[in-house]
Amino acid sequence: MAAGGRALSDYLDDMALKILMVEPGDLSVVGELLEFTEQLLAALSGEGGAAQPALSRMARDFNAALEKIIMGELADSAENFDRLGQCIAQMQEVTRKEGEVDEAALRLFAENLAAVGYQVAADTPPEPVAEPATAGGAPFVPPEPAAAAPTLDFLQDKDLLGGFVAESFEHLESIEVNILDLEQNPDDRDIINNIFRTFHTIKGVSGFLNLKKINELAHITENLLDDVRNGKRDMDSGVIDVVLSVGDYLREMVQNVKDVLERGGDAFVEFDIGQYVEMVRQVQAGRSVGPVAAAPAAEAEIPVAATSPAAPVIKDEAAAAPPLPAAPAVPPGGGGRAGGALPQAARKGGIGDSIKVDVEKLDSLVNAVGELVIMQSLVRQNPLVARLADPKLNRDFSQLGRITTELQRTAMAMRMVPIRQTFQKMTRLVRDLSKKTGKVVDLIMVGEETEIDRNMVDSIYDPLVHMIRNSVDHGVQAPAEREKKGKPGTGNVFLRAYQKGGAIVIEIEDDGDGLQTAKIRKKAMERGLISEGDALSDHEVQNLIFLPGFSTADKITDVSGRGVGMDVVKKAVEKLRGKVEVSSQAGKGSLFTIRLPLTLAIIDGIIVRIGSERYIIPTIAIQESIRPEKKDYSTVHGKGEALMIRNKLVPIVRLYELFDVAPTYTDPCEALVVVVENEGVQRALMVDELLGKQEVVIKSLGGYLKDTKGVAGGTILGDGRVGLILDLAGLLATGDSREAAPAEEAEIF
Amino acid sequence: MEAAEAVRTDSTAGRQDLEGKYLTFALGKEEYGIGILKVREIIGLMEITAVPHTPVYIKGVINLRGRVIPVLDLRLKFGMASEEYTERTCVIVVEVQGESGAIQVGMLVDSVSEVLNITGQEIEAPPAFGGNTDTTYILGMAKIKGEVKILLDVDQVIGAGELARFEAM
Repeated sequence: MAAGGRALSDYLDDMALKILMVEPGDLSVVGELLEFTEQLLAALSGEGGAAQPALSRMARDFNAALEKIIMGELADSAENFDRLGQCIAQMQEVTRKEGEVDEAALRLFAENLAAVGYQVAADTPPEPVAEPATAGGAPFVPPEPAAAAPTLDFLQDKDLLGGFVAESFEHLESIEVNILDLEQNPDDRDIINNIFRTFHTIKGVSGFLNLKKINELAHITENLLDDVRNGKRDMDSGVIDVVLSVGDYLREMVQNVKDVLERGGDAFVEFDIGQYVEMVRQVQAGRSVGPVAAAPAAEAEIPVAATSPAAPVIKDEAAAAPPLPAAPAVPPGGGGRAGGALPQAARKGGIGDSIKVDVEKLDSLVNAVGELVIMQSLVRQNPLVARLADPKLNRDFSQLGRITTELQRTAMAMRMVPIRQTFQKMTRLVRDLSKKTGKVVDLIMVGEETEIDRNMVDSIYDPLVHMIRNSVDHGVQAPAEREKKGKPGTGNVFLRAYQKGGAIVIEIEDDGDGLQTAKIRKKAMERGLISEGDALSDHEVQNLIFLPGFSTADKITDVSGRGVGMDVVKKAVEKLRGKVEVSSQAGKGSLFTIRLPLTLAIIDGIIVRIGSERYIIPTIAIQESIRPEKKDYSTVHGKGEALMIRNKLVPIVRLYELFDVAPTYTDPCEALVVVVENEGVQRALMVDELLGKQEVVIKSLGGYLKDTKGVAGGTILGDGRVGLILDLAGLLATGDSREAAPAEEAEIF
Repeated sequence: MEAAEAVRTDSTAGRQDLEGKYLTFALGKEEYGIGILKVREIIGLMEITAVPHTPVYIKGVINLRGRVIPVLDLRLKFGMASEEYTERTCVIVVEVQGESGAIQVGMLVDSVSEVLNITGQEIEAPPAFGGNTDTTYILGMAKIKGEVKILLDVDQVIGAGELARFEAM
């Protein structure tokens, strides 16, 4: 108890300090004070609270009074803050007496709050906050001033607003994650509290930033959650749906605030929160046991359905809900269920303290470290230094080398983020999809802590969405069909991530019907992609689905797009220098595997020389390098050149012509060719010499030159000069346009 | 940029807005000046890696302490005859606001002269040469001790405006 008592008094000390800083009219400090009060409340809701019932009550009253000041319901005058200061003193008094009820202090406390304008109920009900809060709901109905005068009076403090926007997006994301967790563990009070607190924060901050509508919407949702928290209302799918759709709408509103900040007042959109307010009210009233239920529950459902498009969803879910409780038996022991209780606990315990760092600072750190590594090797290779055969110097050098390597590794690791956030967005997606398609699908995620390059996170999102959609829409069958085949009605989609060798592997597996190899074969033949005689293994046939315009879906559904095939996924993954493939067993399901490089910042490349210039060719695209023989060389119409390589005619690209440099060799049989492949197109690139294989750090050429054709970027080579990294996709396209599409000509042969 | 616009829209106004410190450098027989605040550093000539498919005045890219930055030859940029580079040839690294934040670009010049404090009275609006002499890049002309220094608008030379022109090619 001693420890708990000290912690409580610490919070109070913080509050006492903070209230001294408060000036009338400066609500941001009040906001900070509110945060401290909430921390105190949180501490009290733990075991400390039981021993301090009086303090808990006081803190709640204090909190409510503070909120009223922020909402402008009570005056934010200097006198009021003085009185609140005294309230804090009285709370400190009560804390010091460790639970012993100090009537005098309590009375003074109540008097002070009364003077501020907040009435402490004499017989405080178990949850006094709920009362003022729900009562406070009424004044929020007519926020007409905002509608009547759509002047952007909230645009006063852009810094604060910017911070609010960024934080709100985070909060909304955490709400979504939490609420989906909650769906799995409806009784987890921690999660409910988390969501409640997040809405509360949004409400508080939007309140003093004068974002009336956001404030109102957050407020009523908070009230609803408060009822849930206090057991006045059950946590059910109705609540989850309504909170999700409120979250979505809030996100739109916050996005609009952001737009206004960026583009000025013209971007302002007047949001109509009426139907959402109504929706929340209905849900709150719908099955609430408290006196709030003004309208009978049955009546309540109908107007919702009439006014809001989201309402049918609520009913659907109610119908779909019964199968869910049976689901927990399904997940196998190994896989952590989407946000199940275990991962949740691990998540809380597993993450250490973290700080936010400006991306630019991070990038400049990584740059500086890269530079350090290069400089170190330059110093070391300096002939003068190399001649000093001093053992101590050598030892020191290798020590320095170890330190810089370690430093570089750490710097690189800082750019890595867990894939969790991306995965968690899929939970929502699967939930929405399974509703839309009438299937029952569990998403089981494994390895969310796997780290990927921060820059990759955004780019991998779209392909993942596409594949998950595909798995739910085409992979997993409808419950009835599944049961006919002896599978459980609930389908599973597994989403796994792990590191393997130098790559990140992401797997999407469903236990649906699997790919219909025969159908793919037939379709491929129709499209002339393969011919009758081609002996392709099932695996090869399955991977034909990644070819452009290939879709075997019988019907185009709203879910999986219109004829946009897996080629889009393949392209997106290849852009990240990764690979994707599928393997499938008829009747059992399909497994899609995406392999991505660990980081986008480093590329594995072969350094080649042409004349005095050096270029880097990404190793992933290279098939082989050879010195051509005369007999393999042929020309087409005297212009296009090609080499016969393994019985295939591969067009030659003279890089020195494309890049306008003076080469050492102009005869392909004296030079070397590097055979590269990109999106199924093969080319033989002519180079003078191969200088070696190296991992290089990719650097942008800067805004000026970033779109240069055929060049993906630059890198600093060992001698400090810049080498250009070839962009094969761009390069082959340039080659085509210059040489009148030799690809077609080659195929004639 | 704003200063430049002010000059062009109202050529009779005083040049007080252009007053300040300028780094002056030579291109052939002409002396040029750029606002000192735009200058990041001056470095000696180093090996430049050519980038294909770029306008002729873009000499390529260099490694500026771990950063890759483009270098353009001001002589070629202004349509002057190119000269052999000497040991006096330097790269003035300037920073301008591009669309996505600040970008650094190196400018190759014959030699760097000095940093001058130029007062408003010494600066005149660029004369209208007429015909095909482009004065978009010129902020004003400074007359100091009988010599004329051409004050360049760096943002126009390499900034957003130039980028747009470059992209239009």
